[in-house]
Amino acid sequence: MSAAREIIPPPGPTPNGERSAGHLASMAVRGGDFLFVSGLAAVDLQSGERIRGTTASETRHILTNLKQLLEAAGSSLDKVVKVNVLLHSMLEAPNMNEVYARFFPDSPPARTVCGACLPHGVKVIIECTALR
Amino acid sequence: MTEALPRSAIEPRNPLLNASRSSNLPHVPGIRVGDYIFLSGMAPIDPRTGERNHGPIAEQVRTTLSNMQHMLESAGSSLERVVRVHVVLADISQMADMDRVYREFFPVDPPARTAWSMQLRFGNGCEIECVALAG
Repeated sequence: MSAAREIIPPPGPTPNGERSAGHLASMAVRGGDFLFVSGLAAVDLQSGERIRGTTASETRHILTNLKQLLEAAGSSLDKVVKVNVLLHSMLEAPNMNEVYARFFPDSPPARTVCGACLPHGVKVIIECTALR
Repeated sequence: MTEALPRSAIEPRNPLLNASRSSNLPHVPGIRVGDYIFLSGMAPIDPRTGERNHGPIAEQVRTTLSNMQHMLESAGSSLERVVRVHVVLADISQMADMDRVYREFFPVDPPARTAWSMQLRFGNGCEIECVALAG
């Protein structure tokens, strides 16, 4: 018997019957008991537009969207087991942390933070693995 | 209460693609545990020679993903069973070239993905790792 794989539709408006053909990535995929969430950049979930801001404000947008995405999939921030945060500069880590801590006030998940070159002038990318 | 999940190393059918063994590196190509397969970061290795392929980035990505397909199929899984991918490029400006090839391998219901750029070993232009569901 093998574990089930299921694409989790993104929260917000999706045209009827649209499959994820032509997309580079699914925002989230369930595999067995875990949800695998793509690296998220700061976007408006309604319009799909990129939101450009500071490291702190992009972090807040991403984690707000992540919360919504997880809850729409029947999970939640307190079921997250592992987070990877990519920052355009490690000098910004304290600014990210200050916002991040507000989203995970108790028993936060395991986490790695890494400075990297990010595409399209993005300042922060956050991905996670959560229990469904 | 919990029994230990069986944990086993994955072997590619093509031994030339066992890059960690041929380079004597302290890791295996992948591990299967329970319902999951965790692959090591894969580099563009020519499956006919076992040598690194350092051609244009599109070619490097195609070689790497095709090797990943081979690795997963060797373990009884497939690209359709991949749930998460990490794509790392040496040069962020090659993201669009990578994407063009990437979508050929995941045309429908693609896995979750994160892509970024950082320093890579051996002059590789890309390194790609994944988590997939077994069988």
